[in-house]
Amino acid sequence: MLELPTIQDTMNDRRRINGPAEGTRPPVYASHLKSGGATDRAQRQREPTDLRKIFLKTGLIPSASGSSYLEFAPSSSLANARSNPKSLIPPSSALKLSCTVHGPKPLPRSAAFSPNLVLTTHVKYAPFAARKRKGHIRDASERDLGVHLETALRGAIIAERWPKSGIDLTITILEAEDDRWWADAPDLHDASWGMMNVLAGCITAASAAIADAHIDCLDLVSGGVAALVSDDSTEDSAAAPRLMLDADPAEHRSIMAACVVAYMPARDEITELWLKGESSKIALEKGDQRSAHEALIDGAVDAARGAHSVLSEAVRETMLRAVTPL
Amino acid sequence: MSSQRQASSAAQIPHLSPAELSYLYTSLSLPNSPIRPDGRSPTQFRPLSAETNILPGTNGSARIGFADGTQAIVGVKAEVEKTVLVSDTLDVQHEAQGTGNGEGGEGSSSAVTGGHGSWVQMSIEIPGFRDDDALPVFLSEMMRESLVGSVGVKDKSGEENMAGGLKGRLVINKRWHWRLYIDVLLLSQPLSYPLPLLSLTTHLALLSTKLPKLKSKGEEDPFFDDDWAVAEYIYPRVLGVSNTLQVRPPVTLLVISVGENVIFDPTREEIAVADAVLAISVTRDNEAGSLQPLKLLSIRTIDPPSRLTQPGIPNSENVNMLGAPAPNENVAVLNPATGEEEVPGVWRPRRGGVKRSVIAGMVKTVLKKGGVGEEVLAGLEGVEVS
Amino acid sequence: MTTPLPQVAIPGQCLGSASKYTAGPGTHIQQSNIYASIAGPVILDPAQPNTQTKSTLRVSRTIPAKPHLASTSKLKDRYNTLPAVNSIVLARVTRVQKRQATVSILVVLDEDSLDPAQTSDNDNIASILTSAANPENHSTTDELRFQALIRKEDVRAVEKDRVVMDEMFRVGDIVRGSVISLGDQSFYYITTSRNDLGVVMARSEGGNMMFPVSWKEMRDPITNASELRKVARPY
Repeated sequence: MLELPTIQDTMNDRRRINGPAEGTRPPVYASHLKSGGATDRAQRQREPTDLRKIFLKTGLIPSASGSSYLEFAPSSSLANARSNPKSLIPPSSALKLSCTVHGPKPLPRSAAFSPNLVLTTHVKYAPFAARKRKGHIRDASERDLGVHLETALRGAIIAERWPKSGIDLTITILEAEDDRWWADAPDLHDASWGMMNVLAGCITAASAAIADAHIDCLDLVSGGVAALVSDDSTEDSAAAPRLMLDADPAEHRSIMAACVVAYMPARDEITELWLKGESSKIALEKGDQRSAHEALIDGAVDAARGAHSVLSEAVRETMLRAVTPL
Repeated sequence: MSSQRQASSAAQIPHLSPAELSYLYTSLSLPNSPIRPDGRSPTQFRPLSAETNILPGTNGSARIGFADGTQAIVGVKAEVEKTVLVSDTLDVQHEAQGTGNGEGGEGSSSAVTGGHGSWVQMSIEIPGFRDDDALPVFLSEMMRESLVGSVGVKDKSGEENMAGGLKGRLVINKRWHWRLYIDVLLLSQPLSYPLPLLSLTTHLALLSTKLPKLKSKGEEDPFFDDDWAVAEYIYPRVLGVSNTLQVRPPVTLLVISVGENVIFDPTREEIAVADAVLAISVTRDNEAGSLQPLKLLSIRTIDPPSRLTQPGIPNSENVNMLGAPAPNENVAVLNPATGEEEVPGVWRPRRGGVKRSVIAGMVKTVLKKGGVGEEVLAGLEGVEVS
Repeated sequence: MTTPLPQVAIPGQCLGSASKYTAGPGTHIQQSNIYASIAGPVILDPAQPNTQTKSTLRVSRTIPAKPHLASTSKLKDRYNTLPAVNSIVLARVTRVQKRQATVSILVVLDEDSLDPAQTSDNDNIASILTSAANPENHSTTDELRFQALIRKEDVRAVEKDRVVMDEMFRVGDIVRGSVISLGDQSFYYITTSRNDLGVVMARSEGGNMMFPVSWKEMRDPITNASELRKVARPY
């Protein structure tokens, strides 16, 4: 069952016996396949507008000026599989990440004068975060995430209150989202959809950590994801793809388009928007006059509003722990 | 080091004084009739010269030069590579039937026809930046994602319809595929955010890209016709409706909003005062029954550099002006676009995000019939691809 | 307008109309309303009576410690603030040159602790310095602290041209200074040209803690040797 990976990379070190280049996965036994269980596709149990529960706590890392930890509740199929394991392979994954803020601190000596706060973000997957191992050096997708996150936060921070100083924001992703169901081959609409959920989580967690560090910001900015998915039931009939908030890519057959926003409810403004996929081809359900990309953005904003309620509660809770009840 | 980091997504912040920024913002945000420093209309692009097939050693290439002297060269190279089934893929039907013994999983998956996004590799070299700096990484991810995100049109007329888009075109058979390397070279330090230049050049290079004609059949190891004259374009030359090529690579447009105006192909100075910067990728939609001539592939916000600019100081707060009589008009008023209290003529760095209605307006200007997106694609079709 | 002020606020929370209050630190104005920009207790500073000014609304950065937990609480109760013009800082001398002394800022004293009703800061300097000096960065390297310069002409108010830097500061001294400028890309500028500013703690060449005897002299209690300093007036 385990296929032998072909070692393609000619740059490999031939003097040592290297491990497989592609990585391996735990075995799946034929008995499990016959009885189902291991190969049952995860199914979305939530309503299209229901979000996964979010656990968010701030102020966990004493040496940092601000910190937060965020976790998405595992989907029902994952929770089932954990309580009653039929296979060594989890059916899906749930996001877990931690975020630290260091500073404000002086800029490095070589830096030019800045009248504003200089924000630097580092997003790093732990090597064990995804099904495929990530290296210790940040790859293109991690740098890309860092830029998205920076855009989202720069719009929320009141940078002129902190001249000549910088903050470093570091996010470690302990468990990432899958891009698709683990047993699926990538299909036509394959893209790194899991990355969008990761970005939404990063934005919410970073916002909590910045509030924990008492950096001035306009509002608590939160991240939300919406996706247009076509599922098994609609595979044959030409039914309209459905709009799902907080879509877990492992639970859907095919994601046509997805959108992540960073949103500030107090101002009704978007600081970061990342939409991809062929959205304009998709007709929405009848009676919906919006174009598909507008529906996606609106859906993502709704998801962000949901995340914001968790975020504001977490920030308030941390503060109330410290403040004397008057 | 840090100045480079700041340049990550915001491109370079030009050294403009707060007074200059304020002047520029005011003239660009004039209702309905923005005045641009170079006299262009809001949707007008800078003049450029383009040529294709300039590099003999590539499968396809193009060069575009802007009038300000910045030039980009794109070379596309293709290599044949063995398809390795991703190790975490499981062919459920196959295994469940219990027939698949000893095949090792390779080539047994039915879904391989889709092609992989990772088969298209893009690298961008910009002078003054390391190739792992955020700007080149961000730019290449942005352009690659729209290239591989486009999945082509449904069956309508012929076979050469590029089902599966660029990814699908790279599949040779179940065991072999092409790997496409798109290498972008900017010849000088960019004078403005280089996205439009790079995107247009990549578009032309892909249009001129040819792959040698396959002579082998089916699942045998591939071999190719060595006559370059019969090589096939990767974007097939099938004319669709209105005598345009049926499938075209996507283009990514840079759009900014200043006040209530939407401005295309901004210069560096114009970006420096933008309220919001969006990169919008579109391609032609030739599917029957589509209302719009274009389809949207991706939108990304780009961090507007106006957030990092130096603020101006109103006379009322200026220590050097304490003795001077305070003019009456020096009163803060509410800026309708930002909701901030501002003294007219005094620059404040932008803060906050962008309203949904503004984004919708920007996308609409690109997508609508006869809009800017169509204009750009038509302009590119005018470039003769040899 | 009758809605009471919330006790605590989180960023983005609307606190009241800008026509009723003035926006203080920790808040910002948007669409004529005052919004909180940090999380913390909301404090209303009443306006001076008999003036036209509005009362000031601010969100405090310092969180009052719970009385019964004051000594045991491990929560951070101090948050770092940036040096601003006129803020009083404690800094350690890192380098003395002919025309200037380089110092690294340990603590920016906030307005609350400058309250004359409180005990003077000289009493708790030791506690400030022994507790993690700068709560935001536990690293003790000077690279991570804000650097500042005391120029020769900013050392004292009189006889500026007679100042000899070596007789004013030594490396390792703790200086109380007032920020006069945000300076250039790397240094703040600090002055000590007031009676209450200058060296507050210094060790002699023998390594003993010295006590001040005059505005320009400190003495080693063990060897009885005196050394020259620009001494801050003890309260």
